[in-house]
Amino acid sequence: MMPVNFDNAATTFPKPECVRRAAADAVRQLGGNAGRGGHALAMKSSAAVYSARETAATFFGAQPENTVFTLNCTHALNMAVQGIMRGGGHMIISCLEHNSVARPAAALASSGRVSLSVAKVYPDDDKTVESFRHLIRRDTKAIVSTLASNVTGQLLPWKRIGELCKENGICFIADGAQACGVVDVKLSDGINILCTAGHKGLYGLTGTGLLISDGRYPIEPIIQGGTGTASADLEQPLLLPEALESGTLNIPGIMSLKAGIEFVSRLGTERIFRHETGICRRFINELVNLPGVTVLRDSTASYVPIVSFTIDGIAPEKAAAKLSEAGYCLRAGYHCAALSHTCLGTENGTIRFAPSVFSRESDAAALADEIKKLLRD
Amino acid sequence: MTVCIAEMPSYTYAVKGEKLLRARGYPCEIKRNERPGGGCGFSLIIKGGCPEALDILRAYSVPYTNVRGGGTDDAGKL
Repeated sequence: MMPVNFDNAATTFPKPECVRRAAADAVRQLGGNAGRGGHALAMKSSAAVYSARETAATFFGAQPENTVFTLNCTHALNMAVQGIMRGGGHMIISCLEHNSVARPAAALASSGRVSLSVAKVYPDDDKTVESFRHLIRRDTKAIVSTLASNVTGQLLPWKRIGELCKENGICFIADGAQACGVVDVKLSDGINILCTAGHKGLYGLTGTGLLISDGRYPIEPIIQGGTGTASADLEQPLLLPEALESGTLNIPGIMSLKAGIEFVSRLGTERIFRHETGICRRFINELVNLPGVTVLRDSTASYVPIVSFTIDGIAPEKAAAKLSEAGYCLRAGYHCAALSHTCLGTENGTIRFAPSVFSRESDAAALADEIKKLLRD
Repeated sequence: MTVCIAEMPSYTYAVKGEKLLRARGYPCEIKRNERPGGGCGFSLIIKGGCPEALDILRAYSVPYTNVRGGGTDDAGKL
């Protein structure tokens, strides 16, 4: 029996049929290396990649030439954070950041080139915005913030953080890994550089991600190599998107991402959000009164469809292992977000429930029954 | 009909330029650069109305690096 996947915040599975078909078609038909030659195969691949760029750019309100394909969200965030902060200065991150932000930020800080501040996030958006505002200094160059926590799903007031950045001439780098595909995210929300995964809410294959810039803040490449442009020059070209795309692109992945974005566009993020939030609500209702179970939600905050919880006396990893034996896939532990657990006071980590557009409420209810059994045993 | 060749800094900008020009009735196509010594790259072959076509590229901030033929100059190039 196929296990039921409630670990879609890590990567969505199953993938839509159109995504599987797009990847398979690319393997069969797009045999040339995009941007790397003038023969028929290369030109066909190049045209296909450009078309995927247009699809992604339109979805996020950007320009195709500022839409960079990456390997994943971590890759995109590293390029953005290191590329913007390379010259030094001060940066602010939120306390709910994934290690994909926290680690490059910490590495820059420990090198002595960058000073780092961490803004506390509250259930109250006003307090969160003030927390960021309070930390801004004359030399603040960037605010890097997730749009939604990968641990609790809490949505941050990103449009207001974007306004704050604009008022202060600060680059706003947003981690959209958990928000893109379930809420409407546009560069016009005040985001200067949006980094996101292609394989989560956008339903592409693993090995896909996006860095989308509004072009306002130049990003210094951290990886140099072949771009298919200005190849007689030993200096890395600085023109996007190729400047940040050294090396051969993941063409089947990119085509799967295009199909995934089209799938999400057809359904609409509002409908996807409603469906998944309904499943989360049912799951929470089943858990909320169970003795020893703590659901990490605050009634005054907003959330993407992710539910983190803990069970007194049962370590998250142990609970997840038991649930896996029963046929349910849930992530347990720190979710690669150590800072978040300090912020949330969940020193042993959490168990995370994350449905997708393909999840069923009946499966969430059956999972809750398994958790009840776990409490009885 | 005068034909000019605008060398583009990347395939991405070549397609962007091609789409802009075609949408405005300027026939054009993308070709791999054949000029020796220039390194990898793509050009936009613009078939007629070169000065106006280049004005359009400039107006939409589509950079090009060099133009040959068509009675054009290089004004506005990258």
